[in-house]
Amino acid sequence: MSKSLQQRNTRHLLLWLPLVLLVSSILFYILMSMQAHHMQEKQLALKQHNVWNTFIIQQGNIIPHIIGEYDISERNLVSEERLNEPRDTVLYYPDRKQLLPFKIMTTNFIWKTKPFQVTTYVSSTEISHLIIKVFIAEAVIFILLLIAIIIINRKTSGLLWRPFYTTMETVSEYDITKQNGIKIPAETGTKEFNELNKQLAELIKKANQAYINQKQFVENASHEMQTPLSIIRSKLELLINQPGISEKTAIFLEEITEANDRLSQMNKNLLLLAKIDNNQFPKKEKMNVSELVKSILENQRDQYDQNFSGVKVNIQADIFITANRSLMEILFNNLIKNAFIHNIPNGYIHLSLSKEEFVIENSGPSLSVEPLQLLERFKKGSDESKTTGLGLSLVNQICKLYGFKLLYEYKDKSHTLKVIFK
Amino acid sequence: MKLLVIEDEISLLGSILEYFEQEDFLCESASSYKDGIKKIEGFQYDCIILDINLPGGSGLQLLQYLRKNKKDDGVIIISARNSLNDKIEGLNLGADDYLTKPFHLSELNARVKALIRRKYVKGSNIMEAGNLKVDLLSRSVTCNNQPFILTKYEYALLVFLLANKNRVVGKQAIGEHLYGEQVDNLTSFDSVYSQIKNLKKKLKDKGYDDPIQTVYGLGYKLTL
Repeated sequence: MSKSLQQRNTRHLLLWLPLVLLVSSILFYILMSMQAHHMQEKQLALKQHNVWNTFIIQQGNIIPHIIGEYDISERNLVSEERLNEPRDTVLYYPDRKQLLPFKIMTTNFIWKTKPFQVTTYVSSTEISHLIIKVFIAEAVIFILLLIAIIIINRKTSGLLWRPFYTTMETVSEYDITKQNGIKIPAETGTKEFNELNKQLAELIKKANQAYINQKQFVENASHEMQTPLSIIRSKLELLINQPGISEKTAIFLEEITEANDRLSQMNKNLLLLAKIDNNQFPKKEKMNVSELVKSILENQRDQYDQNFSGVKVNIQADIFITANRSLMEILFNNLIKNAFIHNIPNGYIHLSLSKEEFVIENSGPSLSVEPLQLLERFKKGSDESKTTGLGLSLVNQICKLYGFKLLYEYKDKSHTLKVIFK
Repeated sequence: MKLLVIEDEISLLGSILEYFEQEDFLCESASSYKDGIKKIEGFQYDCIILDINLPGGSGLQLLQYLRKNKKDDGVIIISARNSLNDKIEGLNLGADDYLTKPFHLSELNARVKALIRRKYVKGSNIMEAGNLKVDLLSRSVTCNNQPFILTKYEYALLVFLLANKNRVVGKQAIGEHLYGEQVDNLTSFDSVYSQIKNLKKKLKDKGYDDPIQTVYGLGYKLTL
């Protein structure tokens, strides 16, 4: 699962920093204890030196035993191998009624050919208290350090990454189809982000250019095709007027003519799509859609089937829409035409127009594809070769242009197309 | 009738010339802006068929030049540009009609004839063929001076076929003529067929012996 930059950064810090701090704490503790032992050893040695010097100066007339300070004995109490090494011991202090830990060291001395053993004492309590206190102080400092590092890190990285988030926000508003020029700041104060923004700006520029070229290409290509299509059509018209055409030739000619007409129709629709894409229908006017739909319906009925009886119409009078007249004609023409073409014998067409929506429902053969796919270019619901597969995508494009919502519902051989005006 | 065709696509130019020569027009042609200017400076034409995209200049400029010099030759623009603005601009500059490529020659023929009739036959605007008389202004037809009642589409069909008399007119051309450019002519054959059938029947009732022939599946030919 992806986490945000901040979270990832903090997570790494939280994982590694305590580990580093723990290891260094242990190291610190070891070093400190070693130093403490070394110090005690030195103290013990120095005490012995002082005690023995005093003993010699006083000709042996000093107190041989002070608890917690030193022991001077003429007997060999300590075995050879434990000499000159600090050892741990505890002494009982009756006044305090407790055992206290001490470090002691015993060394052999010789005075007037007589052997002596001098043992000196250093209290361990203070040193171990010191170690604990230093260690606690160190731990507190480390924890404060950890918190400080994380807070500072979060703050600075938030600051550092700000240009990145700004860029991201800008880019997310970019829509190639709208071609709205977006502004990515060229100067962010960070070299890497400057470079990133530069590359992004370049990328967007190229994508825009490619998009424009592609749109232009479709328009130019279909435009250029019109002339050869005209030539073919005119030659075919001349051909069918030639005397003595055999029936077989006539069949060929008919097929060529039909194919050529289909090509012309397709080309016309493609050009129209490209032009809508390129926003070449800027001229808008307020028009009476009720009248428009009525006249188109009449025209279509005349064209396809004057005897079609299943047409039910419910058109509210004087519905006005502001749009391009040609495009509105194409929109309603294609929708109504589809209802006639993709119908079944003795079928029905229910058409209604209100201020909010235009709905056309018709009976028809069952669908083999998803209804929404029919809105794409060259998608057909049937094998009908007489259609171009561009009619509904034109409708879709026009709806998009004016912010209308186009819905296609199919249920039990009933097709419903709905255009919801805003 | 004198006709000038200004079109840079030689093959299409050839087709147009051939079609109109068969209609007994006196045809001349130009295939560039310069040629076109030369022709319209030197002669008067009844109708000029003008392409917009020409080498050396635009057909619209040529039209402007023509109207500036007070020449009132009829002009029909044929253009590959199917934009409304071009159409409006062309008509504003004084063109009489506008046809988008690819067009049917029979449609162009009907338009040229209608234009010439509008321009030169002032007052009565009547097409005659045999005993049929078509009054284009009142949109009424008489046969032997008896009213001949036709529906809107039958009337349009008759006028279109009369303009292309004695020629095979493709069913696509008829479909487009009757139902407009907007219409998908691929699916309108059935209705073209039924209109033809109705018209044939009415003509037969008036005593014509099958004046509209079906030429295989290609189209129809009116002979009177």
